[in-house]
Amino acid sequence: MNAVEIDSLTYTYPGAAQPTLKGVSLHIEQGDFLAVVGNNGCGKSTLCKALNGLIPHFISGTFDGKVRVGGLDTLESDVGTLARKVGYVYQDFENQIVRPTVLDDASYACLNYACPDYKQRGRDALRQCGLEGREEEYIWQLSGGQTHLLALAGAVSLCPDILILDEPIAQLDPMHADRIYEVLRDLNERYGKTIIVIEHHTEYIADYCRHVLLMKDGRAEWILPTGEALQRVDELEACNIFPPQVTQAAYRLRQRGTLPESACLPTTVEEGERAFASLSYKAVAPVEKCRQEEESAVSFQDVSLSYRTVKGEPRIVFDGLELDIKKGERVALIGSNGAGKSTLMKMMVGLLKARKGTVSLFGDPIGEKKAEELSRQISLVYQNPEEMFIKDSIRGDIAYAMQVRGVPDWQERTDRLLERFRLTELRDRDGRLMSGGQMRRASLAIGVALEPGILLLDEPTANLDIATRREIMQVLEDMKDMIQTAVIATHDMQLVCQWAQRIIVLSGGTVVADGSRDEIFAREDLAELVGIRPPEIFTMARRLDPQALCYTVDEFMDRFQEA
Amino acid sequence: MEKMMSKLSENILDKFSMDFLRNQVLKNAYGNDDTVIAALDPRILIAWYLFFGVVPWFVNDLSFLLASFALVMVTTLLARVAGLVLFLFALGVFSQTGYLFLATLLFGGDASAVAPLLVLTLKVATISLASVTVFSGLDPDRLSNGLMWYGCPERLSFSISYAYRMLPMLMEEFQNVLLSYRLRGSAPDHDTFAGKVRYLIYQVKIIMESFYPLMLNTAKRSRTTVEALELRGYRYGATDKAVRKIKLSTMKVTCDDLLFLAVSALWMSLAVLGSTLI
Repeated sequence: MNAVEIDSLTYTYPGAAQPTLKGVSLHIEQGDFLAVVGNNGCGKSTLCKALNGLIPHFISGTFDGKVRVGGLDTLESDVGTLARKVGYVYQDFENQIVRPTVLDDASYACLNYACPDYKQRGRDALRQCGLEGREEEYIWQLSGGQTHLLALAGAVSLCPDILILDEPIAQLDPMHADRIYEVLRDLNERYGKTIIVIEHHTEYIADYCRHVLLMKDGRAEWILPTGEALQRVDELEACNIFPPQVTQAAYRLRQRGTLPESACLPTTVEEGERAFASLSYKAVAPVEKCRQEEESAVSFQDVSLSYRTVKGEPRIVFDGLELDIKKGERVALIGSNGAGKSTLMKMMVGLLKARKGTVSLFGDPIGEKKAEELSRQISLVYQNPEEMFIKDSIRGDIAYAMQVRGVPDWQERTDRLLERFRLTELRDRDGRLMSGGQMRRASLAIGVALEPGILLLDEPTANLDIATRREIMQVLEDMKDMIQTAVIATHDMQLVCQWAQRIIVLSGGTVVADGSRDEIFAREDLAELVGIRPPEIFTMARRLDPQALCYTVDEFMDRFQEA
Repeated sequence: MEKMMSKLSENILDKFSMDFLRNQVLKNAYGNDDTVIAALDPRILIAWYLFFGVVPWFVNDLSFLLASFALVMVTTLLARVAGLVLFLFALGVFSQTGYLFLATLLFGGDASAVAPLLVLTLKVATISLASVTVFSGLDPDRLSNGLMWYGCPERLSFSISYAYRMLPMLMEEFQNVLLSYRLRGSAPDHDTFAGKVRYLIYQVKIIMESFYPLMLNTAKRSRTTVEALELRGYRYGATDKAVRKIKLSTMKVTCDDLLFLAVSALWMSLAVLGSTLI
C-alpha cells in the first residue's frame, strides 16, 4: 500500500509568478524511509507542506492535481484530520514548541483533539523518542538535541503514520545527530512509521535511508533505492548535493582508472573497505611545525564563571580554566552542545565577566574595560546572523561601527568590504530577508569592519546547506590575510580539518585536549568522551591503514595508490 | 568611600542586566512550584484573592487591615516570590503613599498625620501582596485553568501561558541585539557627571532602537509557530467543549485548600472580634 500518492501536482504560492511545484507525480510506500534532496528553492519544503494539508488549506495559492495521504484526499480533508495522519517537524523546531514543560508539550496536540488519555499518549510519545524520565522538566533545561526530540514527540503523540522532518540535524553536534537518526530508525522499524526527511548530509542518507527522491526545479526527477541514487555523482553534484566522501573518492578513483569502470561505488565506510581493499597507503613525511609566535593574543588565567539558574545552585561553567591563544593562530574550539564554547567567546569580548581569575588580550587584563573599548581588538560573529542586523540595510550595518567611531574614510572602507564579500548588489536590502549564505557573508563583513586583531566566529557553517557551506569556507580562506588570529567554535569537522591549525577540545568546562588535527583525531578516546567525529574520509583511511591521516578527499587520492 | 560607591553602582548595573531579568521572570513563573501556595487549587486561591483584593478598600478599621496585611505577608513568604517582584512592590507602595508620610514629617507634620496615611498604605500593600501571592505563587498554567473555570475565554488563558513560554526567548533575543549595539556602538565617556547623563541617554536610545530588529526577528520566528499551532490543533482545542472539560478536570479541591480557607477565615474573624472588644 502507498502512504502517499501524488498525481501531477502543480502549486504556485500566492503572488508568485512561477509555480514552485510543476507537475509532481510520485508514490511513497508505506513504511519507507525516504530522503528528499535537491538544490535550495527546488520545492522540497513546499512538497512536504502539501502532504500535511498546510498547502492549500492554510497557505492558499493555486493548487492543481491530487494528493492522497494514507488514503485521504488532502483537498477534501481539513488540517486537523491530516495532522493525525502526518506529523511535521520544522527546521526551526524550537519555534514549534508552545508549552513550558516537556510532558505538556508532548501531549498538547492530543489535548486539543480531545483525547481523554492525552497524558498517556504524551508519555508514550516521549518514550518512543527517548525522552523518558524528563516529563517534568522545563523546556529551557533541554539541550538542542533534546528539544528536537521533543518537537518530534509532539508530532508522534498523535500516532501519525507518516513523519516529515525538515533538516533534522542541521544545528546538532554529531552525537545528537546520531541520536535523532537512531530514534527515527526505531520509529520506522519497530512502529512501522513512514519517515520522510529533507536532508543534505549524504553520509546519514547512506546509513539510514532506504530511498532517495531528487527534486529539481519543482519537479521530482526520480526516486531510487539509496545505494543506486548515490551512484549518480554527476547528477547530484549538479544539484549541489555532495555524495558521501567515500563515494566521491571512489568516483574519482574510477575516473582515474584505479577502480574498474563497471565497479559499483561504495557509499559507506564498510562498503569502502571492500572496494578499496587493493589500495595501499603511501606514508608522507610529517609537515614540519611552523614556527610559533610567542606573543599571546588571549590568555585565561585561573578563570571561573557560573550562571544563575531558575532553581537551586548556580551552574558552574568554568572552574580554574587556563588557556593561552597565541598571536597568528587559527584555532578551532570543539566540544558537544553546552560544553562552554559560546561562553568562552563571550568572556573574550568582555560580555561576560569572570567571577575569578583574569582574561587578558595581548597581555592586558580586560577586567575593567568596557566591551566597546575592546571591539577594536576583538570581534565576535554570532551564530545567528539575524541578531547582528541592527540597521535597515546591509550597508548601514557594515558601516555602523566605523561611522560611530568616526573612522576616517569609512564610506570607502564600507564599499570595499561590500565588494570583497560580494554584497554590493544587496547593499540596500535588510539582512533578515537574504538567503542563509548571504546572511553569513554579511555577518562576517560586519565582524571584520573594524579590522580587529582577533576574530571569533560562533558556528559559522551551522544551518547551511553543503554548497553554501563550501562557499563560506572559501570566504574564510580568503579572509586569512585580513585577520591575524581567529577562533571558530564549531561542530563541523570538515571545516576544522581544512581550516584550523590548532584544535581545542572542551568538555564540561575543561580543556580535555589541545593540539594539531593529527594529535586530536588520532585519539580514539576523545571521540568517545566528547562525541566529536572526524570526517568520513579520515575514518575510511584509518580503516584501510591505521597509520593513515587523511582529512580531505584530495589527500586521500594522493596518499592511497594501487599496490 | 568613593571606591565603595563605585563598586555599588557597578553591582547594581550588573544585577540589572537582561540576564538577571530573564532569570527573575522564569523564577517568578516556574521557580516556586513546590510551595504550599502553588499546591493550592487555583479556583480557591482566586476566590481568596477576590476577598483580599476588594474588601480592604472598603474597610477603615485599623486592626482588620493590620491582620489582613499580616496574613498576606505570610502567604507571600510562603509563595517564595522572586526578589525583583518584591522590590517592585516596595517601590510601588512607597511611590504611592510612603513619600507622603516622609514629606509630612519633613514639613513639620506630627504623629497625627501618621494614622490616616498608615491606613491608606496598609490598604495598598495588602491588595498588592495578595495579587503577588496569587499571580506569582501559582504557575501560569494553573492560574489560566483557574481563570477558565470562572469563565474567562480560552484565548486569555492560552495567551498567559504562551507569554510565559515566549518571554525568556524574547529577552534572550533582545539581549543579543543589545549586545550587538554595545559591541559595535561607541558609548560616550562617563567619568564626569555630564558624561554619566549622556551615557544614560545613550543607553535609553539603544534600548529603543533595539526594538526594531527585535520585532522583525520575532516576526520571522512566529511564522513557524503559527503554522505549528494550526497543525497541533490549537483552533480545535479552543472551541471544543470536550477539551475545556478535560482541562478543568485536572483541578481538585483538597483538604489543604479547605484548611487554607478555614485558617484565613478564622484569623480574620479573630481580628474583627478583637477590634469590637477593644
